[in-house]
Amino acid sequence: MEKLQMGKANREAFLNHLAQKSGRPRHQLKDHPFKPINDLPHTTLAGHSQDELLDIAEKNSTAVHVDFRTTTKDGLADVLNQYLDAKHTQNLLLPTTDQWQHFALANWFNDHQSSAMLWQPDATRAENLDRAEKADVAIGFADYLLAESGTITVATRPGQGRAFNFLPQHYLSIIPKSRIVARSTQAMDHYDADIKAGRLKTSNINFITGPSNSGDIEMVLVVGVHGPLDMTYVVVNDL
Amino acid sequence: MGLQTTEKPFLERVEEAKKDKFMQGSVAKAQDAQLIKREDARAQLGHWQQWRELGEQIRKETVRYLPDYLEEFADNVEKQGGHVFFAKDDKEAAAFIRQVAVEKKAKNIVKSKSMVTAEIGLNKQLLSIPGVSLMETDLAEFILQEDDWDEPTHIVFPTLHKNRTQIQKIFQKLGYKGDNDPSTMAKFARKYLRNKFIHADLGITGCNFAIADNGMINLVTNEGNADLCMAIPKTQVVVMGMERIVPSLKEAETLDNMLSRSAVGQKLTSYCTFCGKKQDGESDGPDDFYVVIVDNGRSKALGTVFEPVLQCIRCGACLNVCPIYRHIGGHGYGSIYPGPIGAVLSPILDGYEKFGDLPFASSLCAACTETCPVKIPLHHLLIEHRRIMMDKIHTDHTFTNQIMKIIGVGTGSPFLFKSVLRFGHVGLNVLTTKKPANTVSGFLYQQGRVGKVNPPLPKLMLGWTDLRDLPNVSKKHQNFRSWFGKHTPVKAVAHPQPLK
Repeated sequence: MEKLQMGKANREAFLNHLAQKSGRPRHQLKDHPFKPINDLPHTTLAGHSQDELLDIAEKNSTAVHVDFRTTTKDGLADVLNQYLDAKHTQNLLLPTTDQWQHFALANWFNDHQSSAMLWQPDATRAENLDRAEKADVAIGFADYLLAESGTITVATRPGQGRAFNFLPQHYLSIIPKSRIVARSTQAMDHYDADIKAGRLKTSNINFITGPSNSGDIEMVLVVGVHGPLDMTYVVVNDL
Repeated sequence: MGLQTTEKPFLERVEEAKKDKFMQGSVAKAQDAQLIKREDARAQLGHWQQWRELGEQIRKETVRYLPDYLEEFADNVEKQGGHVFFAKDDKEAAAFIRQVAVEKKAKNIVKSKSMVTAEIGLNKQLLSIPGVSLMETDLAEFILQEDDWDEPTHIVFPTLHKNRTQIQKIFQKLGYKGDNDPSTMAKFARKYLRNKFIHADLGITGCNFAIADNGMINLVTNEGNADLCMAIPKTQVVVMGMERIVPSLKEAETLDNMLSRSAVGQKLTSYCTFCGKKQDGESDGPDDFYVVIVDNGRSKALGTVFEPVLQCIRCGACLNVCPIYRHIGGHGYGSIYPGPIGAVLSPILDGYEKFGDLPFASSLCAACTETCPVKIPLHHLLIEHRRIMMDKIHTDHTFTNQIMKIIGVGTGSPFLFKSVLRFGHVGLNVLTTKKPANTVSGFLYQQGRVGKVNPPLPKLMLGWTDLRDLPNVSKKHQNFRSWFGKHTPVKAVAHPQPLK
């Protein structure tokens, strides 16, 4: 069979065919940009204080089988240590990030750096994937927590890659209270603006709502399939 | 597999489905459970009808300017070093992906759940490459694969027709020694498939929505397998129906909320991911990123009354409310797209010869139209298919036309009409129930006596009397004309006196 080619000819033939079938000319979009007919994504769950959003987030996170905890910057190291003990952690995976200092965890990180595995920006694909696969626990940082759905959001960065969030068995995510937003809309507004302004360079954004699950066998909910078996969110009061 | 899952005639498929009591029970249970979850999730969101209007607008406008949005998307994918192939049909799409697999010398291919890859018959093409291992990694698709590539029965819950003991037996062939507890079996699948992920060199995914203004794709899942397909292999191929596009991340986010609620009654599914080709500095994700945009008959809907079918976001809510789907399940439709959406879409994609029965597999109750989150007028489109088949291409070769002609002659002649009124009751008595129709259920569902007599009579009734008796016409002295003739019209009172 002749080799199938990508490129301009392939594209133009396809798109011209669509225009011809629809009876509408191409290149009309610049005069008809999309304008939503209502603002429901923004007005839904609007007007809550950060304390109220925390309450809503806790209720909705618990509903999706998340172990939800709150603490202060001073208490965070103890929460993490208790968590590692409770999971009988053997192989801990941590991200490479300057967030440790932001959360006053520099000393905690130094204490664990030698025994933990790091997702490293200068490591190869195989090295980082191997660490994530061996990890029974990962502790990472989230960008936002969505109150409405109990969802954390994480953009892939060189120090915290895609598989970091999926291969380990147990996953703990640290989120500052100031980054709780009402819905996915507000988080997406930030990501959209940051990517377009060049402030965020990422190939991947994950919205993660609790542990992986499936209802594929007789519609019985099974928590923990391919991704982490359980999820813990730790909200740190930074306000 | 391809769009058509079987060559058995429609009525034979229906008969087989009617005998599958486990499937019917499972579908009924799923529909009832999803009704509660879906309506609860929509109620919690609030203003659902206005959300539907927004969802419809997003989908309608992207379909309206489809070539422009696809061009913008392709430009952005290519700007980031990705590749886009536009496939006019299933064969071209599958052949291109096979070509990529061969060029990349792929040996271990992992796939996440994707209806369009089933539609283009991709698995068969890939398995024809010598030495290639192909693994479906969604739990349900994995079960179907290991059961000799059984057909899915639902676009969201593909294994609805299988019970836990059947699945246990399938897993036993892979070395599973545990019981039939779903949780234990899911753990086995996790371990078995994890090994496949780690060694995968090519990942194939579908696409819920493609983001025109930044070249990302959006996937909405629950298990995490799709994200591993996009993280671990060095090459990723995304297969998308050409209509699965939105202007920006913002509209994708809006539709993800509506899709999650409509499909599984969740506010958001466990994983909503927006991704593209790996960027500099990142260590996982695809080095080579291909998007295959598939027409395969979809363009036949453009510019026609069927264009709204391209608004579909594949939530499956229309299946979950359909009384026909409840009785015949997914296999009864003989298309990988079952239910009301499949009955509208399948004939558009591959014609009335193969799928002309499906628009008749509907009670036209309109529950599908009412639940659709993007307001596709599904039952109107089913009627439109019927109209085209009857009036334009004359696919009906039964006695319908002759019957209608006879009725026309009978009602057009006063003598014949009066004769029917006089003798109809006696004439039809042999076919109709002898019991008085005291109740609605008694009236509608008796014994199906007409269906039990020898052909050709049941054939003439076209299935209308398979499950119910023909009601008799009234005796002459009891019919409406007789009653009307015996009663004097009463003059209406314009201003009645108030009651005392």
